[in-house]
Amino acid sequence: MRTITLTDAIREAIEEEMRVDPSVFVVGQDVRGAIFPHTKGLVDEFGTDRIVDTPIAESGMYGVAFGAAQEGMRPICDFMFGGFSYVTFSECSVTTGQYHFLHGSQHALPLVITAGVGTGQRLANDHAMSIHGTFAHHPGIKVAMPSTPYDAKGMFKAAIRDNNPVVIPWHMGIMMLKGEVPDLGDDYIVPLGVADVKRVGSDVTVLANSLQLQHALGVAEKLAPEISVEVIDPRSFVPFDMETLLVSLEKTNRLVIVDEDWESGGFAATISARVVEQAFDLLDAPILRVTLPNMPVPGGYMEEYVAPNPERIEAAIRAVCA
Amino acid sequence: MALNIDQKKLLMTNLIRADEFNRMMYRRMMQGKLIGFYHPAEGAIAPGVAASSFLNKDDNLSPHHRGHGITHMLSKGIDIKYYLAEHTGKVTGCCAGRSAFHFSFPEHKVYMMSGFIGYNFAPAVGWGFAAKQRALGQVVMNCSGDGSYGQGRSHEALLMAQNWKLPIIFFCENNGMSIFSTAMEMHPKPNISSLADGYGMPSAIVDGQNVFEVAEVCIEAIERARTGGGPTFIEAKTLRFNEHDIGTPDLSGWEERSAEEHAEMRDREPVAIATVIALDEGWLTAADIEAMREAALREIEGVEAFADDSEIARPSVESLMQGVFAE
Repeated sequence: MRTITLTDAIREAIEEEMRVDPSVFVVGQDVRGAIFPHTKGLVDEFGTDRIVDTPIAESGMYGVAFGAAQEGMRPICDFMFGGFSYVTFSECSVTTGQYHFLHGSQHALPLVITAGVGTGQRLANDHAMSIHGTFAHHPGIKVAMPSTPYDAKGMFKAAIRDNNPVVIPWHMGIMMLKGEVPDLGDDYIVPLGVADVKRVGSDVTVLANSLQLQHALGVAEKLAPEISVEVIDPRSFVPFDMETLLVSLEKTNRLVIVDEDWESGGFAATISARVVEQAFDLLDAPILRVTLPNMPVPGGYMEEYVAPNPERIEAAIRAVCA
Repeated sequence: MALNIDQKKLLMTNLIRADEFNRMMYRRMMQGKLIGFYHPAEGAIAPGVAASSFLNKDDNLSPHHRGHGITHMLSKGIDIKYYLAEHTGKVTGCCAGRSAFHFSFPEHKVYMMSGFIGYNFAPAVGWGFAAKQRALGQVVMNCSGDGSYGQGRSHEALLMAQNWKLPIIFFCENNGMSIFSTAMEMHPKPNISSLADGYGMPSAIVDGQNVFEVAEVCIEAIERARTGGGPTFIEAKTLRFNEHDIGTPDLSGWEERSAEEHAEMRDREPVAIATVIALDEGWLTAADIEAMREAALREIEGVEAFADDSEIARPSVESLMQGVFAE
C-alpha cells in the first residue's frame, strides 16, 4: 500500500487504463496543462492525440466524446467544473441517456464524464454546484462519486471499463485528501453500484458521500461516547445499493441522509422516498436530510454555514436519536 | 469530376426510389398508418441522394430530417423496411418499436436521428475525430438544413473540424425554410456556406435540384476528406414543395405561400430535371425510367407488407427496464 491524494489516484486510474486500452482518451479544455492535477503530465506520455484540448466549446467538446464513443472508443470528457457540463446539458442528459435504450438497446455508449464539484472553495453556484443528483434524474446514465483515494482509483477504472455513460465527478473539497491505495501494478476496481460501510455503528445510519462523508466520519467520532453512528458511503447513486442501506437500517432504525445537493428534488429526496416505500416499518424516527437549502449556492464566507457541515450533521443525528 | 454512366444510373435509381418512398410515407401519414408526424421531402430529395449514394458502408452519415432520412438511408444501402416497421411501432423496427420516428442503424454508421435540430453537428466532430485517429479512411457526411445553422453547435463543429482537418462534409440542404421562417430573414447573408469562409474551410454552392451536379461536388469532397484533405462545406440550394410537416399550414412567415411561388417551385422538380438530362444524354430510355419506377414500387410493396405484417411492440415495463443499460 502507498499513500496518495485523491486526484493522484484519479490520474493513476486514467493513465493505467490508457496504457492497456488504446481506445481510451481524454478530451477537455486545458487538460494538457492540467487545470486540476488529475491530468498533470498525461500529455507527456500519451501525446496530444489522446490528451485532447478543445476550444471553449462545450457542445463540440462533448460531441468529440459522444461521437467517438459511438465509434467504439472510450472517451473521458473532462468538464473542469461540474457546472460547465450544463452548458451542453441537453446532450449530456437527454441525448446521452436515451441513446442506448431508445434505439432498441443495440449499441452501447461507453463514455465517462468527470469534473470537479462541490463547496469548499467559496466559488459560488456555477463553480460550486453538485451535479450528481441532476444527472441521476436522467435514466440511462450511471452516476458515482468517490470519497477516498482508494475508491477514486477503483471507481474511475470501473467507469472507464463500463459500457455505459458514467458521470463521475470528484469533490474539490477533498482533492488533496490522502489515503492508502494498492501498489502500482496491483490492478483493482471498485464496482459501480456497491456502497461501502465506512464506519460501523448501531444507533443511527448516516448516508454521506465525498466531502460530506469526511464531515460525517468526524461527527461520528466525536459522538462515539454517546451515540453509535454507522456511516455508509453510497459511492454510486445510479445504480444505488439499496441492500446495504436496508441491512444497516435493520440494525439502527434511524436514518440521516447528508447530500451536497439541493433539498428539493435532490438525491436525498429520492432515497428518503424509497426507504419510506420499502422499509417504513424499520424506521423508529422520521428520516432527516442535511442538504443545501433551496437557494443558489452562495460564494464567499457564507458558503460554510449554508452548505451541509459538521454542525448541521450533528444536529440531525441528535434529532433522530432524541 | 464528371460522372460515369453507372454513377448516373445509380443516382437516377435512388432518386426515383426516394420519390416513391416519400409518396408512400405521405400517403400512410394521411391514412393514419404512421406513428407521430411526417416531414414530406417532395422537391428536396436530390441533395440527400447525391450526398449518400457514394458513401462506403463504414462512412458515417447523419441524414437530414426531411423525409425522415429515408432519402439518405436508402441511398446508403439501408433496407427501409426496418425503419417503416419502427415508424409503425412494430417489434421488427430498427429500434424494437421504442423510438417512433427515430432511426438507428449502427452497422451502417447511421447512429441516430436527433430529436433536437442541429444536434448532429457535435457528434459528427466525434465521428470525424475517431475516423482521423484510427486512419481507416472513413468520412462523415453530415447533412442538415439551413435552419440548423442557427444552432451554436454548428459553429462549434465547423471550428473544430477545420482546426483538426477532420474528414467531414458539412452538407447544407438549404430549402430556404425552417417551418414557416425563411432563411432570408433568419440568416444575415444569402448563402449559408459563407460561414465556411470564416473558418477557412473550402466550400461550394450547387443546384440542389440537379442530382448529378450535387453528386459531382460530393464525390470530390468525399475524396478530399478520405485522403486527408479535411472538411468541405457544400450548400445545395433546394426547395420544399409541401408544408413543414403534414398538418401544419404552408406559411411563409405568417402568410400562405403564394400560388406563384408554388408554380415556380414545381418547375424545378428534381426527378423531372434528371429525366430530361438522362433522355437528352441518351443513357436511359423512357422505358428504362419506367422500369426503375416499377421496381421502386415493388420494393415499397415489400417494405409496407413487412411493417404491416409485423407485431405491435408491447413489451412489459420489466423487460424494458432491462434495456436501459448496456451489459
